[in-house]
Amino acid sequence: MSNFQIKKVLLDAGTSLHIQTEKILSRLPGVPVQYIEGIRSKRNNDEFGSSAPETACTQDNTFEHKPRLGKDTLHLISYKGEFLKPCPGTREYICCGYQILNVATNCPLDCSYCILQAYFNQPNLRVFVNLEEELKRVLHVIDSEPDRIFRVGTGEFTDSLAVDPITCWSDLLLPAFSKRKNVVLELKTKTTNIERLLDSKYRDRIIVSWSLNSPYIAAREEHGAASLKNRLKAARQCQSEGYILGFHFDPLISHPRWKEGYLKTLDLMDKYIDPEKIIWISIGSFRYMPGLKPIIRRRHPKTCVLNGEFIMGLDGKMRYFKPIRLDLYRFLRENLEKWHPDLGLYLCMESDDVWQKSMGWSPGNTTGLSHYLDKRVLKIFG
Amino acid sequence: MEIRKIAGATPHGVGLNNIDDSPGPCCMSFGFDLKPLILSIDTIGLINSPVLIESGQGKMTIIAGFRRVQAFKYLKRDEIPCRILLENSVSHLECILINLHDNLSTRKLNDVEKGMVLSRLSLYLPESEILEHYMPLLDLPSRRETLFLFMALESEPDVFVKESVVRGSLSLKTFKRLLKMDHESRTHVLNLLSSLKFNSNQQTQLFEYLIDLKHIHDKSLSELLGDISIKRILSDENLNMPQKAKAVLGFFRSKRFPTLADAESTFRKKVSRLGLPKGVKIVQSRFFEAPYHRLEIRFREGEDLKKKIEQLTRSDRLETLRDPWEEGG
Repeated sequence: MSNFQIKKVLLDAGTSLHIQTEKILSRLPGVPVQYIEGIRSKRNNDEFGSSAPETACTQDNTFEHKPRLGKDTLHLISYKGEFLKPCPGTREYICCGYQILNVATNCPLDCSYCILQAYFNQPNLRVFVNLEEELKRVLHVIDSEPDRIFRVGTGEFTDSLAVDPITCWSDLLLPAFSKRKNVVLELKTKTTNIERLLDSKYRDRIIVSWSLNSPYIAAREEHGAASLKNRLKAARQCQSEGYILGFHFDPLISHPRWKEGYLKTLDLMDKYIDPEKIIWISIGSFRYMPGLKPIIRRRHPKTCVLNGEFIMGLDGKMRYFKPIRLDLYRFLRENLEKWHPDLGLYLCMESDDVWQKSMGWSPGNTTGLSHYLDKRVLKIFG
Repeated sequence: MEIRKIAGATPHGVGLNNIDDSPGPCCMSFGFDLKPLILSIDTIGLINSPVLIESGQGKMTIIAGFRRVQAFKYLKRDEIPCRILLENSVSHLECILINLHDNLSTRKLNDVEKGMVLSRLSLYLPESEILEHYMPLLDLPSRRETLFLFMALESEPDVFVKESVVRGSLSLKTFKRLLKMDHESRTHVLNLLSSLKFNSNQQTQLFEYLIDLKHIHDKSLSELLGDISIKRILSDENLNMPQKAKAVLGFFRSKRFPTLADAESTFRKKVSRLGLPKGVKIVQSRFFEAPYHRLEIRFREGEDLKKKIEQLTRSDRLETLRDPWEEGG
């Protein structure tokens, strides 16, 4: 981990019995460990349910939500909830039908727009040390439906690779997923932590993907993330070592000279990446729960991500006014298609109407988009 | 003296001249109207006697009953029946609690008064006890940020701000924002809020726009509020107060959401050109997010409805209402 450092480890009661705990602690020599006895509450089982942020107040007239995110504190937990969960899409917009593998929550990176700032009710980098045991259950679910394609990812509630040098989840996950024919595992990141992937002998059914943005947004808003160039260099290395790649232009941010900015990113992609070996590229615009706005304002006073014209969408989240989204999507789609006509482009959480107008076609609904993405899996991995 | 014994103490007449004129260190009264109490005392006399404490040199300090003493003074009485505590017989905290419970038993405290209670208690009690016990007693959530907000309200130096909060013309949310503003911005905002009657929701909306615009255009609130268009709205004699408030909000909304405002205006123009029958309306979906519009027809009877529908079907202009976001459209 190049840009961040764990300064403290918290151990929940019972986690010291897990072999993963021992392994993780051995990779953090000299880091103080604090045992937490008897304070575990049912909130641990409500990990993904609450949107209430931690609040810290001072008497200096700052009464706003001030999430104590504890990005340098690693909290090892035996998670009691479901490890495999469908992506929480909404009825009003078309979802990709992704399955989330919950290996951890929160993220050491500090992107100003990150929804995790408001999403979880507990701070710290929370890593689930019982993954190894629970993975058997997850694989059983996958094996019990051999005709269904499971598109699984770990990058929804954390960066998939940010703490991989410490957790080494990839050592565990790659062999487990690589040997199954009805699943793909997508590791989504903004880091360059690919060492363990490159050392692994498993490639089949594994997608390594990077979140991309314009250089302006990457530099200004994605704090702690690798530079765009370094992300793409890491992607190139993975591609040359036989990994299939994915990319995610999400969240697109409307900012001054955004067209020029996103074109620069596309130029970099052209420079480093072979478009033939890309399974998909998602496109989505910035959206957020209304409660996130004051948190962003407080934590990132210089941010530009809130400057756009946001309206309340049909799902209650804030999103760009429709013509602005259409502009962003059309521009990206046209230019990506100029680069290569078959990139598996898809929109994240958009309506049929917006699909039609910006992409020129629509999967119609979540099932349709799932089929489209399943076909991409079959095409690339067979 | 045991604090509970005060309830059973016999009142004695105390000369008003012997009572310290100031509200006293325990007073929790702010922004009150003395007239109803004067009328009540004048009509049926004093029901609940004030509590005083001897403060030396024959003077008495008010522990509870500042308004009652004021009412007696207004009525030009010589004496008022009071229960008297001996100097040093009760602690300062006990005096505060006597005042608090005396008030709570007869009325609701306003927000500034709640701040006064919390500030005084915070001098003697740990924060945890105030949060756990006294915040619920004041109908407030047991949250630190609420505690600090009310204490900040109590220590607010500008009486106009306090009075505005008590009157309801300044919401607590707005007050919280004022705390973070520089002097100039604060003055501009207070001038605007005092000259126009924004309700609580409008105040919230106004600040949403102002803070966003401040970030987008890197301008101070004073610069934004000093815009010539705002001055024009404020001096427009054809508009009443609520209309001016609405116009100011509309101005900032169109600045904050230029594309949306433009789309709404274009849509309204298009609809007005359709020549719809009377009582027929076409309403866009909220923020144009859903791809449909809504047709509303107001009618008396079926015959009337039929007539309006026929008029609509005969209209050759309806087709001009097209999807505003079609590519190249």
